[in-house]
Amino acid sequence: MNVVIGVGNPYRRDDAVGLAVAEAAAGRGINAVQSDGEPAGLLLAWEGTDLAVIVDAVVCEPATPGRIHRTPALPSAHGGTSSHGLGIPDAVALATALGRMPRRLIVYAVEAADVSLGVGLSTPVARAVPWLVDRVLADLT
Amino acid sequence: MSHRARQLRVSALARVEGEGALNVVVRDGSVERTELRIYEPPRFFEALLRGRAHTEPPDITARICGICPVAYQLSACHAIEDACGVTVPEPVEALRRLLYCGEWISSHALHIHLLHAPDFLGYPDAITMAADHRDAVERGLALKKVGNALLEAVGGRAIHPVNVRVGGFYRAPTRAELAPVAEQLTAVLYLALATVRWVAGFDFPSVELDHELLAVHEDHRYAITRGRLVSGDGLDFPVSDFSSHVVEHQVPHSTALHASLDGRRYLTGPLARYSLNHAQLSPLALHAAAEAGLGPSCRNPFRSIVVRAVEIVYAVEEALRLISEYEPPEPAHVDVPPRLGVGHGVTEAPRGLLYHRYGIGADGLLTSAVIVPPTSQNQAAIEADLHALVTANLALPDSELTPLCERAIRNYDPCISCSAHFLDLTRSPA
Repeated sequence: MNVVIGVGNPYRRDDAVGLAVAEAAAGRGINAVQSDGEPAGLLLAWEGTDLAVIVDAVVCEPATPGRIHRTPALPSAHGGTSSHGLGIPDAVALATALGRMPRRLIVYAVEAADVSLGVGLSTPVARAVPWLVDRVLADLT
Repeated sequence: MSHRARQLRVSALARVEGEGALNVVVRDGSVERTELRIYEPPRFFEALLRGRAHTEPPDITARICGICPVAYQLSACHAIEDACGVTVPEPVEALRRLLYCGEWISSHALHIHLLHAPDFLGYPDAITMAADHRDAVERGLALKKVGNALLEAVGGRAIHPVNVRVGGFYRAPTRAELAPVAEQLTAVLYLALATVRWVAGFDFPSVELDHELLAVHEDHRYAITRGRLVSGDGLDFPVSDFSSHVVEHQVPHSTALHASLDGRRYLTGPLARYSLNHAQLSPLALHAAAEAGLGPSCRNPFRSIVVRAVEIVYAVEEALRLISEYEPPEPAHVDVPPRLGVGHGVTEAPRGLLYHRYGIGADGLLTSAVIVPPTSQNQAAIEADLHALVTANLALPDSELTPLCERAIRNYDPCISCSAHFLDLTRSPA
């Protein structure tokens, strides 16, 4: 079984790009879930899968909004100090320690233009969504 | 004489909810000050609630915290219903208690296994700990999963549930929808007991604190969603008297307000609940507590991890009882027409008691909002503990004393995001 996991916060503008991709993938009959990125939730979302594809926004300095990075995993270092600040790298580290990683993990990181409070994607990030959905579907087939 | 001054600083506390720092100053061999500095930005919730409809606080205040949104929703509901002179029927209240059990299980499981246990076992974090204590971390994740399943079944989703409304619920789950949750709860009850045994085996520094304790109390059950307030030295008052006993005040080093109970420092949370409501625990939870070496009260903050584990046992068992007796309330909510007045609500959030007070105008809009979260109530007690701890351990080098102070803070599972408040700005006329 495969899964697409869109990670993000719908009220932080471009941070919702992963959620938008998961929604579109679900609309095309793919097993897709939306996640806030909390590690225990991510472990459950990819439990027992052969391939998990994660889509998340990334803040870069300087940024090219809408640019997409594809990586087999993220660095396992974790720098978060509170349980509110844990994210995908922590989930990967925890799952690795527990032997609960999916057999294969692909992470798409989309460079964000704006992660301030509010809803709706910026134009360059919104434009990346259809292409990203196609790429994710290609990974799964 | 700076060579006699010593300062311990932790600029960003790890494994707590939100952003805080610690500053301890020792001068001439004695502790000059201990400050739990909460620098999480002010959040203005009380101000933005003013002028909103009386139906809105449950959803707005749920956003204060992703770990304990149910506490915010239900303290808000109780306060609004109190202002409007409405008491919800017992079946609705039972469903609220069931929802709240999910939050206790989920929050306590997270704190015990992923945030607090590494302190006792000598690991920097749960991820490092997981390599050597895989079963324990798995157990924590399994308990948290069931807590979340309960939150989803009753609340619609685990984080910021959407099914709670003033007067009850938008929709009551069916018995069939709760049946699989009951199966999961039954399956993790032995895990909850295993967690009590696991944490009971930790080494605990010998500390007995003398703070006043304050908890919500009901005579016939371990209070969670409602009750009156009782203290260790015999105070017993209804929630409507909360603000005549508890006074909040600002301190310069924190965006959270400090609080005092009749002018004294006090503590809320697991230690207070356990010590004041021990007799209302279930036989199984009492048995687990006794096996873990807890007496009828517990005043060692390091042992709060054991109390939390006992409370998970209680919450799992209580949720099972509530589901076995469950009949969907019909209707799922009662109408709560607004009326001019002030209402008070208090519930036991995982970290301690959470008080809400709202004023409602004749037009149904909120005229005032006051929220007193547990971490701000506990802040003065945490600082006093730090003071005592540093005083007793001045001989330790900074490299050992600083982590001990961080442990002392994590004993309280402080939710800094919840407690961050705002400072009043006074502007002189131009």
